[in-house]
Amino acid sequence: MRASVATETDEVLMARFCAGEAPAFDALFQRHAPAVRGYLTRLTGSPATAEDLVQLTFLSLVRSRGRFQAGSRFRPWLYAIATNAARDQLRRGHRPEELTAEGHLPVDVPAEVAGPRDVGLERAVRQALDQLPEGQRVPILLHRFEGMGFAEIADTLGLTESAVKVRAHRGYARLRELLAALREEATG
Amino acid sequence: MTPACLKVMDALGTPLPPDLAAHVAGCEDCRALAGGFEALESIAPSGGDAGAGAPGTGLETAHRLALEELTARPRATPWWRELLVLLGVDVGVMALGLALLGRGSWVGNQAAPWVVAGVGLLILALVGAGTYLALAPQRRKVPSWGALLLGATVVAVAQLAGGTGQRMRPPPMGGLGCMASEVLLSVVPLACVLVLLCRSAFQPVRAVAAGLSAGGVSLLVIHVHCSDGTAGHLLTGHLAPWLALAGLAVLLRSRLPTRSHAP
Repeated sequence: MRASVATETDEVLMARFCAGEAPAFDALFQRHAPAVRGYLTRLTGSPATAEDLVQLTFLSLVRSRGRFQAGSRFRPWLYAIATNAARDQLRRGHRPEELTAEGHLPVDVPAEVAGPRDVGLERAVRQALDQLPEGQRVPILLHRFEGMGFAEIADTLGLTESAVKVRAHRGYARLRELLAALREEATG
Repeated sequence: MTPACLKVMDALGTPLPPDLAAHVAGCEDCRALAGGFEALESIAPSGGDAGAGAPGTGLETAHRLALEELTARPRATPWWRELLVLLGVDVGVMALGLALLGRGSWVGNQAAPWVVAGVGLLILALVGAGTYLALAPQRRKVPSWGALLLGATVVAVAQLAGGTGQRMRPPPMGGLGCMASEVLLSVVPLACVLVLLCRSAFQPVRAVAAGLSAGGVSLLVIHVHCSDGTAGHLLTGHLAPWLALAGLAVLLRSRLPTRSHAP
């Protein structure tokens, strides 16, 4: 049983979960929860908020498994839930202790990969990323960090693939502009 | 974006074939695109799943809470069952409203029977479609707003065009009576649809659809019952409360807690 669960696709596991097999849910959780937490940490800028949102995401998955449609892909559905949870959190406001003195979300996200790194460059890149509008930032996060294709991102966000490509293209181009401006500030 | 630019987008993160590399070298848009993509290298993890292999207490808590929820509700409820329940409530309220208001004569509308029936069917279609739009899992949201606005406009225009122009009661009292009846009859459908809406992610288009369909229940009852057919009365006594209910649905849903964030 354990071996078969480990080799099943997400969609098969979800079908088995909907049919009442709890081990299928465990397998989906083990497979995706760390990545969803990483995504939510990047999206919100706050590890504590991301932990809360991971809980909401998987609670939503359990509560709404009857809304998952056979034939659709699991990962975009899961990331759609996570993105919606983060949007709802943003809409309703944040825990005051997680905001900066100016009332913004913190830009610094704890390091995920150990090893030598250019902290100044990282900060600049994160600042630039943070300045992108949500409509461009989310496709970029999903594409660059979660390794999703544009079709999957389109499923996640409920948009057409071409709309996602346009947003990502503008976002990447804007990111380069912002970084160039930040570099000029730093050197000037 | 040219087709070559789209190919470059699809190939980001992989070694570009010579023809695409040549395109990037000569295309300002693609240079900006590739520059932005490469800039994120400094904070990108080596794999797609950052933090994998580090369960942590937060994930353990998430897992435990999800399993508790699963134990409490071991059976999945298909989304269409909620749709059927809500449609049943809508039909019940319509029947009750017509029975209560239509004592003596079921149809008070003085317009030709085919006009009354035609507009009634349009409203009924809007109630069904609005309920579906509000509760069905969505994959694409592109057609939703357009379809919703078109449907609401068609119903509003049909209602006004189907008016007889006859005034039965003086304006303030007649309008207020219809308005009050419409609001009262909408309470149960609106409450039910709001409860069900909280079981999916907040989307304004869903809330508007829910409000229009819940208000449509009472709009149909008033349409059949009311004998006043002036444009002013139809606008203020029938259509304005209906549209206000749609706005109220968005306001209430935005303030209610979300039980599930599923699309």
